[in-house]
Amino acid sequence: VDHSHHKGTSHMAYNSTTVPSHHHPTTSASHSHGEGMHNMMMHMTFYFGFKNVELLFSGLVINTAGEMAGAFVAVFLLAMFYEGLKIARESLLRKSQVSIRYNSMPVPGPNGTILMETHKTVGQQMLSFPHLLQTVLHIIQVVISYFLMLIFMTYNGYLCIAVAAGAGTGYFLFSWKKAVVVDITEHCH
Amino acid sequence: TAMHFIFSNEVVLLFDFWSVHSPAGMALSVLVVLFLAVLYESIKVGKAKLLYWAVVSMSIPASQLTEETDQDSSGSDSPPVSTTRLRWLFCHFGQSVIHVLQVVIGYFMMLAVMSYNTWIFFGVILGSAVGYYLAYPLLSMV
Repeated sequence: VDHSHHKGTSHMAYNSTTVPSHHHPTTSASHSHGEGMHNMMMHMTFYFGFKNVELLFSGLVINTAGEMAGAFVAVFLLAMFYEGLKIARESLLRKSQVSIRYNSMPVPGPNGTILMETHKTVGQQMLSFPHLLQTVLHIIQVVISYFLMLIFMTYNGYLCIAVAAGAGTGYFLFSWKKAVVVDITEHCH
Repeated sequence: TAMHFIFSNEVVLLFDFWSVHSPAGMALSVLVVLFLAVLYESIKVGKAKLLYWAVVSMSIPASQLTEETDQDSSGSDSPPVSTTRLRWLFCHFGQSVIHVLQVVIGYFMMLAVMSYNTWIFFGVILGSAVGYYLAYPLLSMV
């Protein structure tokens, strides 16, 4: 499929769905042809607009500036929530890693001596509540990340800016404490 | 319509003005996308290094930054708490800006792959490989 024609045809598709009266036979072929043209109305380059912007779900269509403003806020909050969820899962994982097992085993050393090698294993039990909670949060995180990807894929400039700004703000707010408390201790290993 | 990877010298990438019609233009676009992927991998490493250097250079005890009321702390040798927190604020704001850059470039790379142009896809993959290869060893270096 040659994509270089898309930016031209997207405007033509607008006109063709409001079918001209002379081309109105009762055969189903023309209707399906109209439907097909409508589905090809995907933007492949960035644009700014708020008319007829379909967002994720059928029926969720933005048509006015006010609706776009509302969508901007919603997408911004979603991206912020995504960053917060990532941080929350990390801290939850750290807190629930209770079972630290030390295994010491003798290994042969360089000069025929015997050295003690100590293995430290940190983990979660599979059927524990923290692990189940982590799994549920993981699924929520995966779904939200795909939603954000699909939102960015609309190529709508306002919505893409909302995703980026929300991610930055979420990172700024939620990583504040985490960056100080966690990373310092990690570098002490 | 089923989409699939194609070899083509024609593509429109991301913006209306980035319209490619010739082999030379395609080669240049592949190089740009490759550079973008290298930059993406480098940013991930750079963010971590920046944080490490910020913490080390400011020599801040962890307690001083996490406690709100820390008036009589043992900070007799360290700089005043207010300027340290301000420097930390600027550093963290810088980190957030870099994070936004990382998110945006990541999405740009996804959209470039979505063009289903095989040359562009190769550029992204090769750039990710080169970027990872060059940047990640720097993580373990001090």
